[in-house]
Amino acid sequence: MSLRANNIIFSKTAMAHTDPFTRIVMLSPAFLLLLLMLPVLSGLLGVLLPAFGFAPVLEQTTFSLQGFKALWQTPGLLQMISLSVSTGLISTLLAVTLMLMILAAFFNSPWLNRIQRLLSPILVIPHAAAAIAVGFLIAPSGMISRLVSPWFSGWELAPNGIFPHDAYGISIILGLTVKELPFLLLMALGVLAQPELGKTLRQQHQVALNLGYCPMTAFFKVILPSLYPLLRLPILAVLAYACASVEMPLILGPNTPPTLAVAIMHWFNDVDLNLRIKASAGALLQLMLTGGLLVLWLGGEKIIKALFSNSLVNGEREYGGFYWQKVTFTLTFLVIGFILLALMGLMMWSVAGFWRFPTIFPEELTLLHFSKAFIQMGTPLFNTLTIGISATSLAIALTLLCLEAEQISAKPLSSLTNLIIYLPLLVPSIAFIFGLVWIQQLIFSHSSFFNVIFTHLLFVLPYVFLSLSSSYRRLDHRLVQVGASLGAKPYQVFLKIKLPQLFAPILVAVALGLAISFGQYLPTLLAGGGRITTITTEAVTLANGASRRTSAVYGMMQMILPLIGFMLAWVLPKYFYKSAR
Amino acid sequence: MQLSLQIKDLQLFCQHELLLSLNENIHGGEILTIMGPSGSGKSSLLNWLTGTLPTDLNANGEVWLNGQNMTEVPAHLRRIGVLYQDALLFSHLSVAGNIAFAMPKGNKKKRLEKIVQALEQVGLKGMGDRHPDSLSGGQQARVALLRMLLSEPKAILLDEPFSKLDTQLKVKTRKLVFDLIKEHQLPAIMVTHDHSDAEAADGKLITLNAKGNEYAR
Repeated sequence: MSLRANNIIFSKTAMAHTDPFTRIVMLSPAFLLLLLMLPVLSGLLGVLLPAFGFAPVLEQTTFSLQGFKALWQTPGLLQMISLSVSTGLISTLLAVTLMLMILAAFFNSPWLNRIQRLLSPILVIPHAAAAIAVGFLIAPSGMISRLVSPWFSGWELAPNGIFPHDAYGISIILGLTVKELPFLLLMALGVLAQPELGKTLRQQHQVALNLGYCPMTAFFKVILPSLYPLLRLPILAVLAYACASVEMPLILGPNTPPTLAVAIMHWFNDVDLNLRIKASAGALLQLMLTGGLLVLWLGGEKIIKALFSNSLVNGEREYGGFYWQKVTFTLTFLVIGFILLALMGLMMWSVAGFWRFPTIFPEELTLLHFSKAFIQMGTPLFNTLTIGISATSLAIALTLLCLEAEQISAKPLSSLTNLIIYLPLLVPSIAFIFGLVWIQQLIFSHSSFFNVIFTHLLFVLPYVFLSLSSSYRRLDHRLVQVGASLGAKPYQVFLKIKLPQLFAPILVAVALGLAISFGQYLPTLLAGGGRITTITTEAVTLANGASRRTSAVYGMMQMILPLIGFMLAWVLPKYFYKSAR
Repeated sequence: MQLSLQIKDLQLFCQHELLLSLNENIHGGEILTIMGPSGSGKSSLLNWLTGTLPTDLNANGEVWLNGQNMTEVPAHLRRIGVLYQDALLFSHLSVAGNIAFAMPKGNKKKRLEKIVQALEQVGLKGMGDRHPDSLSGGQQARVALLRMLLSEPKAILLDEPFSKLDTQLKVKTRKLVFDLIKEHQLPAIMVTHDHSDAEAADGKLITLNAKGNEYAR
């Protein structure tokens, strides 16, 4: 309450003398919304028109259903669709279930934060690198089969196996699940870290314990109904991503046929430009699949709510919580072990010399693969850093202006705005980036570098915004008032009080933005017209074909770059603006 | 057998420094009042009793409930009801849902009848379907009280439960709580800052000082 009152006082002082800074600030939210909505919507339009046969570039200006006809005649289309749907849905279900079990079993325990700390590095690892690491782990000659050979399995030589690239998409599901679980956990812990809400929820959990509820039951009956609505958008974003992503299925999935998204990408990139009509129709189909899945998920929520609303109040306090807790401990241990093994495997392959099958460690270690890779890495590395730093700087500037506008106008962002910030994460990128690229090529045909930066910005912005907004809103408003009362103009307050105060959160947001940009595959590939290579595009290309060791080096580079960012974000605040801590 | 809550030779430590020591026996229907400044260990005492002592605190001693040693029993099996400063009603459930949540499982119809009856008893007739947030502070406090009592606790802890109510409401609610405690013959411990609470409780009063040494009156 006092926060809002302060805001109003501040807003009045700001309104009284509207300086240029305040005017720019007040315009920024509208600009942000346009920046997020226009590309996504025009991108969708740019896919919609060709899908119905309208493609002036290909000298097609009559509307027809020829693209859809071609799409239906694609052999294995049904398999592609079911692979996309099943991998997306199952991996999301698994990640959500695991997240809930971990939260329920470790609620109010110091272990919750420890698990999060163990898992959080996964968050910044690009999907491609995670896929490479998971692929190595489950391969017939991977770490898992090495650990059980030959003493248990009897394998003296690497066996024939179906992983990765199995036709059922199990490898994709594994990869997506371990990648999305940390993200969902972080989101949930973020909600629980909100001062008011988190405190109330913990107290209500305590009340349920006092009333005789076993801790896990207390979580599901008391915490989950309040927590879930706040996790809905992140979960939907995960679902939308999982069903339409290309990196994981490209590296871990089958090729005969691949998932729909991967197939669409191949069609778009085909030398035969006429396939673009079919690809656009496919993108539309992907859009409908993702939309259908989101609707299915929301419907499932409703059904679960209806089914269990009675049991919330039936007085049952114990559903075998003891055993579920044991199950959760085991699963958590397995997931963490899986992730650690995958990362260790990647690390070892990048420096492995000779490495015979059943041995667990390489016989010799060498930096040869790194030094060989570095020779060719110059341009991709330069591109990665330039694009990342440009997109992130833009995102940070825009986010800060918007959050400042929110404080000046003392009105929290509407739920529609919040939804639009999530838009680039909810709409499958495969469905709108092609259209966007088509439009970009019409307008700025010769600046693919700029196009890539702009496209990255779309994906960096939501994360930067989510990461910065909570700290910005938590900033002590009295400091601002003190500054204003000492005669500081709004822009001085912003630059000299708020920004130094927010130095550490801003650096974290920068590191996050860089990590997101570094990891982008599809946007880089498409907006750059295939001419701009980054570490990630190289890593994906190398993952299928090149030597395992070179691939490991690129996977390592993908992890090292964001880690450097986060380490700087952690170290720098200890030396600059120390007094602000 | 008479209901009783026994605290045997409790010593609470915060980083090896003695926070408080206590040795008490509370019979059914009695209310032990504990007063003292913040930092004197009042809330830690309640946490120890409910089995949720933070890890940075240590305790020696035992808690016995009706002749049973509860010291090592996990929090959710102790059957000690707590009323807090805030009503802490569950906002995803109706008023009746909040109470039903606390009741032991059983026949749906009988449970509902009991809820209707209980609401009527505390002057909240017909409010079962309301959302907790639509209730006034005093009404919420009464729902929280019903929720705690209908869970059939064996002892009651009151953690400054009236401090957020205005004076008139406080007197009324307090009388209701104390009457029900006597009616159910439950042993109770109340932590408060308010001397009028202590007088109304009409039981033993322990005042803790900042260093945690108690002196009884």
